[in-house]
Amino acid sequence: MNLQVVYCNHQTATLDVREKLAFSSEDQLIRAYDDLRARFPKTEAVVLSTCNRVELYTSQESPDEAPTQQQIAQFFAEFHKIRLDDFVDDLLERTGPDAVRHLFEVVSSIDSMVLGEPQIVSQVKEAYDLALKNESCGPLTNALFQGALRVSARVRTETKLAEGRVSIASVAVGEFGKSIFDRFDDKTVLVIGAGEMAEETLRYLKDEGVRKIIVINRSPRRAEQLASAFGGTSQPYEELDRWMVAADVIVSTTGADRPIVDVPRFSKIIEQKEAQPIFILDLGAPRDFEPAVGDIDDNVFLYDIDSLEQTCEQNRAKRSREVERARRLVEDETEKFMHDVYHQATGPIVKRLREEWHDIKDRELELLFNKLHHIDGEDKRMIEQSIDRVINKLLHPPLKALKQEARQGPPHGLIDALKRLFHLGD
Amino acid sequence: MANVSVVCFLASYVVAFGLELTRLFRWMSISRAAMLLAGLAGLVAHTIYLLNRASQTGMPPLLSSTHDWMLVLAWLAIVFYLFLSAVDRDLPVGLLLLPLVLVLIGSAYWVSYLPNSVVSLNEDVVQERAIQNWAMIHVSLLVFGIAGVLLAFVLSLMYVWQHYRLKHKRTIRDGLALPSLEKLARLNWWAVIVSVPLLTLGMGVGVGLGLYLQKEAVEISFADPVIVGHGMIWLALMGFFIWLCLKRRSTGKHVAWMTIWSFGFLLVTLIGLQVLSGENLPFESWKTWHTEVQRTVPAMRV
Repeated sequence: MNLQVVYCNHQTATLDVREKLAFSSEDQLIRAYDDLRARFPKTEAVVLSTCNRVELYTSQESPDEAPTQQQIAQFFAEFHKIRLDDFVDDLLERTGPDAVRHLFEVVSSIDSMVLGEPQIVSQVKEAYDLALKNESCGPLTNALFQGALRVSARVRTETKLAEGRVSIASVAVGEFGKSIFDRFDDKTVLVIGAGEMAEETLRYLKDEGVRKIIVINRSPRRAEQLASAFGGTSQPYEELDRWMVAADVIVSTTGADRPIVDVPRFSKIIEQKEAQPIFILDLGAPRDFEPAVGDIDDNVFLYDIDSLEQTCEQNRAKRSREVERARRLVEDETEKFMHDVYHQATGPIVKRLREEWHDIKDRELELLFNKLHHIDGEDKRMIEQSIDRVINKLLHPPLKALKQEARQGPPHGLIDALKRLFHLGD
Repeated sequence: MANVSVVCFLASYVVAFGLELTRLFRWMSISRAAMLLAGLAGLVAHTIYLLNRASQTGMPPLLSSTHDWMLVLAWLAIVFYLFLSAVDRDLPVGLLLLPLVLVLIGSAYWVSYLPNSVVSLNEDVVQERAIQNWAMIHVSLLVFGIAGVLLAFVLSLMYVWQHYRLKHKRTIRDGLALPSLEKLARLNWWAVIVSVPLLTLGMGVGVGLGLYLQKEAVEISFADPVIVGHGMIWLALMGFFIWLCLKRRSTGKHVAWMTIWSFGFLLVTLIGLQVLSGENLPFESWKTWHTEVQRTVPAMRV
């Protein structure tokens, strides 16, 4: 089997390099497939490009036609119009079973920055679908990617690798927010500040169905940008208290160097509020809310970065205990995949050998039965069975050797030997 | 089948509760399967026992005796528990509900087993049937009302548990995932709103039935401890009910604690009164018309 992957990921290359090598749009990927087809016409190819990795899987029938790592690097450099020296040391190559194992680990998110994250499955699926659409796949890449998706499902079902949330925002919303509120579509979310963390949290809240989003920031322009990105509205900073009274969820990520909401201020807000739970995510460092604000009322649930990070860490530890189990599954699936591939490679030669010998048997028996008129049908059947047994016994040792060899890797040498010994043409 | 006893299903529920406790350490699929199996086996034995009792007394379990209706209440709780546990593997409802079921079944041992002959006092068949029907309505309303009380009690315990987890910023543990505070508060509200009117109606029908039976020369005293006790519980519940409807600034946790205290008081008093008035305890002063009336029935028949 001739399968290779040339790649860089979050472990081997900086974000800067990954950004240069990334294929950011479908159009760019379509052009990349056209370019690859022109450069390597007999090669199947699938490009997987995410923010954490850029990987190019290639496969072909003959090992002589396989693109080298250098050729792939050249393709990246010319396609993205960047210097080879800027990234060539960050590229890695895996071939054969190592390439298969690599993809299986990637799709199972063992190789992800956030262990067990689910997005990678859809990213791999999308990459495979686009390659199929561009007629860039072939028998081997089809089998490989279909196998990868199957492996991913198995890892997720049989291990707890994807259980428990591990990012601050997902823990905040998934483990705490959803334990306070049953639904979010009737809740008002107030975002104070417009940092990256606020954006990420809003993404999770939006996924939960939040409709009413108010963004308040000292810089109105940034507030408007964030609000419009999530279908919310921005409000002036002076109206902060009014909106805190109306809010069910408060996400605060200001860059203030001291708390902006203290106990007396929030006590006044609580007095004006309905007796409903209020979920406060203080994602500022230093904190935006005085910790004692959480003790004002039974309905106030205040979480800061430290408390959320603690939960993240516990969940990460739980997941990492599952990595070994996931790796064993991947190893098992890689072995099965390779066995199937090698078995398919030896299949045609085994078939031809059997057919050849049975043809000889049929011809010889025909001659024999034409000479022996006195034997009846039962005797003919017995003679035929006897010769079949002889053929099977003679075929057994070479086929067994072929099977054993296929377990170790592609049995090219033995296949060539069989072809030459028994005159089996291509 | 005829040999099925209370011990059979009580033992099954004890096993199921023991398996539920493993949630606190490590929740495994095999424990869940064994727990469901034990619960289901208990439910089958429980059902057979109630059917046997019904055929022995010639009355539906709700009418036949205090022992039987308490077991019907436990049966309803078990059906509810098995359904929820089958649907949601991580919901620890059994940890809170099964102890109550075990207490109910344990208490059922100490209360009256004798068929309640109030419902078959009159020899006039048509009138007897009418009394039976009214008695059935009275007991059904009370039992469903008490089932609602049980449910509200368990929901409130869950609320307090979930509130504690959230306030202490604890992560969700495998097998111990509780519903959201919002959902628990809503369900609790509905459980209270439904159960209090049911109990009120049940009480009303009971009083009406008592007045009617008094007219029929049956000796029923509204001053007996059980009736007075029930009246006081009802008044306390109505007070809680009105407070819940009119509340303005009570937190969910406050409501949950109020529910736990008031409904806990109701359950303890209700079960306590039935146990103390049962014939299995030697407290003669507590014997009320529920038991005495049966012994005086032949004398009262004219």
